Amino acid sequence: MIFAPESYSSRRDTLAFVVCLVLAVAARMSPPVIQDAVAAGITRTVLAPFLFVQRQAEVVRASRGRYVQQAAARDSTLLLALQTSGLKQENEELRRILGLSSRLRSRHVSAEVLHQALPTSGLMVVLSAGRDDGVRAAAPVVAPGGLVGVVQRASAHHSVALLWTHPDFRVSGMALNGSVFGIVAPRGSEGPGTPMLELRGVPYQQDVPPGTVIYTSGQGGGQGVYPRGIPIGTIVAVGEEEVGWSRTYVVRPAVHPASISHVVVLVGPAVDLREAFSDTVIGS
Amino acid sequence: MSQVRARQITVLLVLVTLHFVLRPFLGDVRFAPDLLLLALLVFAIQARPGEGAIAGFVVGILADSLTPVAFGAGALAHSCVGYLAAWGKAVFFAESLLVSGGFFLAGTWLRDALVLVAGRHMTDSALAWQLLWWSPLKALTTAAVGVTILIVFRRWLDVRVRG
Repeated sequence: MIFAPESYSSRRDTLAFVVCLVLAVAARMSPPVIQDAVAAGITRTVLAPFLFVQRQAEVVRASRGRYVQQAAARDSTLLLALQTSGLKQENEELRRILGLSSRLRSRHVSAEVLHQALPTSGLMVVLSAGRDDGVRAAAPVVAPGGLVGVVQRASAHHSVALLWTHPDFRVSGMALNGSVFGIVAPRGSEGPGTPMLELRGVPYQQDVPPGTVIYTSGQGGGQGVYPRGIPIGTIVAVGEEEVGWSRTYVVRPAVHPASISHVVVLVGPAVDLREAFSDTVIGS
Repeated sequence: MSQVRARQITVLLVLVTLHFVLRPFLGDVRFAPDLLLLALLVFAIQARPGEGAIAGFVVGILADSLTPVAFGAGALAHSCVGYLAAWGKAVFFAESLLVSGGFFLAGTWLRDALVLVAGRHMTDSALAWQLLWWSPLKALTTAAVGVTILIVFRRWLDVRVRG
């Protein structure tokens, strides 16, 4: 490496740089409505072919995964058919393979998650389903493990989902039997791959033991955003407490956004979904 | 347009397309190489700083549209990285693979840091883990792919690379 004595950057270069910075700051400071409109416009036009290609690549990858899964299921079916005593187990296995969507009573749309490279992509993602598929803003987004986030805006073919890791994310949570209620919000990170949630505002006298699974409470009824019964996570410890007033519990999330490639967007009326997630192993 | 320029543009377009085609196959998104940023850096180290800044702004706006957590933060970060990469290349005459790899590594990490600082959506432990763990990993994978691209396409890109 040799140090060049003369300056390389001309006044024109500096001017171009400054203009770019000013435009970037203007974009950052502009109202969310304008930001959304510009982002949606670019996604709909310039990026549309690239997103189409990414979606097809995602489908190819998923198809390969499903093929392996089905081949394994076929093999296990053969083995189990030879052992009639294992038929019940086989039945359960096949039902699990059929996926979450067959268990959901609510109207829903399947979508691929089109992950991107910015470090903030763990907070918000583009989904491959949009208005034409029935997706609307404020529709809950779930994976077989539990709650993933909520649709923030939808264009014709794509939608943008705000994930539970986003600092603005909030959802009303409860224990399965409805004994404990609180607000669930993101809570920093306990390690490189372990973003956590917290259950806030639990009355001080209500003790929630570790291992308690927290579900969406469905507060708001048919007009609410989240239906009742979607797993959010599992209580792992007490976080903070205001003595005599309330406690905050640390919750291990049911789904890690970085690990999902497919989601289900709930587009129908809010119904109780506890049954649909009854065989879900939380935190796995 | 010269033949060399056409080849350079072809390589950049291939990189941009591969960014979308390969993304589902590159594993965990948090440390997968960022080929869009790599295309910008490869362009910038052969361009004038002003051109690097403009290309950075365009790439940044595209990235912001795909991850609209903090719209504008990506444009700001990519503009700075594009400008600095072009300026740094000119100042340091970076022709060795090691220095080019260093450019890719530093550029990726700096981009992540600027996006997070300008976006202000991550704080405390999440920010620390991102900047000290995931971003360096992503910078390493991006730099490794970048050096490979330079070696494979050195004639098409018209770059002189020494070991």
